[in-house]
Amino acid sequence: MSTQAEPVGWTGRVRRAVWKAYPPERLLPDDQPAYVSSWVYVFGVLTLASLIAVVSSGIVLVIFGPAWWHVSSVGHFVNSLHLWSAEMFFFFMAVHLWGKFFMAAWRGRRALTWMVGAICFLASIATAFTGYLSQQNFDSQWIGTQAKDGLNASGIGAFFNVLNVGQILVWHVILLPLALILLVIAHVLLVRRRGVCPPLPAAEPSEPAAEDPDYPRSPDPAVEWSGAKRRYDLIKELVSALGVVVLLTVVFSALFSSPDSKAVTAARWANANPTDFLSTAVTELDRTSGTATYGPPYTHTPGAGQTIVDSLSLQRLVGVHIPIDTAQVFVLAPLSIGSKNDPPLAAALASYRSASPAQRRTWTRAYTNALDKVSFRDGAPVIASGDYGPVALMMRDLLAQAQSGGLDGALVASSHFYQTDYTRPLLFFSDGAYLESLAEQQNLLGDQWGMMNETGNYPGQAWLWLYTFWYQIPPFKTSDNADAQIWAIMALLSLALVLIPFLPGIRSLPRHLRVYRVIWRDYYRRAEATRE
Amino acid sequence: MRMLALLAVAHLQLVGALGSLGGKPHYIHHGWFLISVANLVVIVLMIVVFVLALFLRFPRERDKR
Repeated sequence: MSTQAEPVGWTGRVRRAVWKAYPPERLLPDDQPAYVSSWVYVFGVLTLASLIAVVSSGIVLVIFGPAWWHVSSVGHFVNSLHLWSAEMFFFFMAVHLWGKFFMAAWRGRRALTWMVGAICFLASIATAFTGYLSQQNFDSQWIGTQAKDGLNASGIGAFFNVLNVGQILVWHVILLPLALILLVIAHVLLVRRRGVCPPLPAAEPSEPAAEDPDYPRSPDPAVEWSGAKRRYDLIKELVSALGVVVLLTVVFSALFSSPDSKAVTAARWANANPTDFLSTAVTELDRTSGTATYGPPYTHTPGAGQTIVDSLSLQRLVGVHIPIDTAQVFVLAPLSIGSKNDPPLAAALASYRSASPAQRRTWTRAYTNALDKVSFRDGAPVIASGDYGPVALMMRDLLAQAQSGGLDGALVASSHFYQTDYTRPLLFFSDGAYLESLAEQQNLLGDQWGMMNETGNYPGQAWLWLYTFWYQIPPFKTSDNADAQIWAIMALLSLALVLIPFLPGIRSLPRHLRVYRVIWRDYYRRAEATRE
Repeated sequence: MRMLALLAVAHLQLVGALGSLGGKPHYIHHGWFLISVANLVVIVLMIVVFVLALFLRFPRERDKR
């Protein structure tokens, strides 16, 4: 027989290894060990079904493009399906994780199964995070401007720019889902390979010889179960779970829809709060704004950049990769577009450029002080006379450019035709108070546990509770290096979650908590009954 | 029929109330702790579902050797 012959070449050896590890009856079983009789076991397949719903709705959104759901009611409904299936995915995954923890399901050479599952959880958070960033509305703007600090502090922000929508969209629709799907497949294959973890010992048998082999009181988790079995239909279970998830997703989407807060633009900002716009613009011009003094990855500001401990700063170590000269990018370059047909503005720009740094600072400081008593007539600023040099005219024209919508285009303009990078406008907006005031109304600020929250009354990212928790307590609450320190803590805690099977004390918690006694109560009852 | 109509109206009112998730956000605030009602509902639901899964009887089948 050819199947019994010694395999030839790499292909033959791989075929033999796969066949040995995954015979069809193990890959698609129609029975399960008798101890698999608790509702706690169904959350794994419900998570899988939710993932199928998330990916399916995501594919429809990809087909019609990222702007579709903002302009089409059908698109908005599909976006709602995507949101609610994602909520359900996390809901079931968290409950699945609890169940597996209380079962100490890493026993019997199943540590890798746990580890891959925990990495799936972390990869899911990253995937959901990029999804929120890809919404192209106020929520994604705010999340991007806040999340950048943590990523920059960890050094990642220089390469993974959350303000670059094009980059984030590719991560969200290709790289991360692909990684997550491969991880989930690996997790499921490991479950099939090792089987479902048997019950923890009810008690150490005093007379092993009298023990019923079908219901051993201390089953060896490393040995394949050969005791009593019950009927099981894997495909039917998955289809049923998918039916439940799809039904719930459709009902929630129809009832609750999904949030879509209008994005902030320079035009909206300049019309709604022109004083804040001017105050911010002048700090960009004299390079004293938050962005101008940020440090890596945007500026070379001496001493800027968060540290984890002492002088250890990953932010400084990585350096400046997204250089931004705020005066040039946010003020001078946009104004120079209009100056071609505006001689007074051209003269003002020339005057500003030729002035000494000290003279420029004198003008901008005087203008900043005058803004305290600014008023507006037909949208244009009216300020008391003073020594502002060309700054007053420049700021007046920049405000007019912003109010007309011209600045929105100018801020993303580059030598390329297609634009997907919104780093510049989002940094500009985040230097002002307007964006933050909108976020505060929606309880999205850091000291409002904002990382967990969604606009309106929609459920947010409850799974980020621990991350946002650190920002509420000393010393992080007041630390200038909170982002770097909290990122380091969360990295260690994430590693600990993955490595629970190897952590003394934590890995023994399920034995002490004894929740497993409820999960496997039928098994223990049968074991006692057959023993008597 | 009258009862059915009343139930239908009540259902529609409930749907209307539930559908207004985009309105003014509702939060529970105590000292430094702040949580949205929606997040709290989700977390409580997760715990309830887990506890139900622990204690609800799983359909029993005859063992198959």
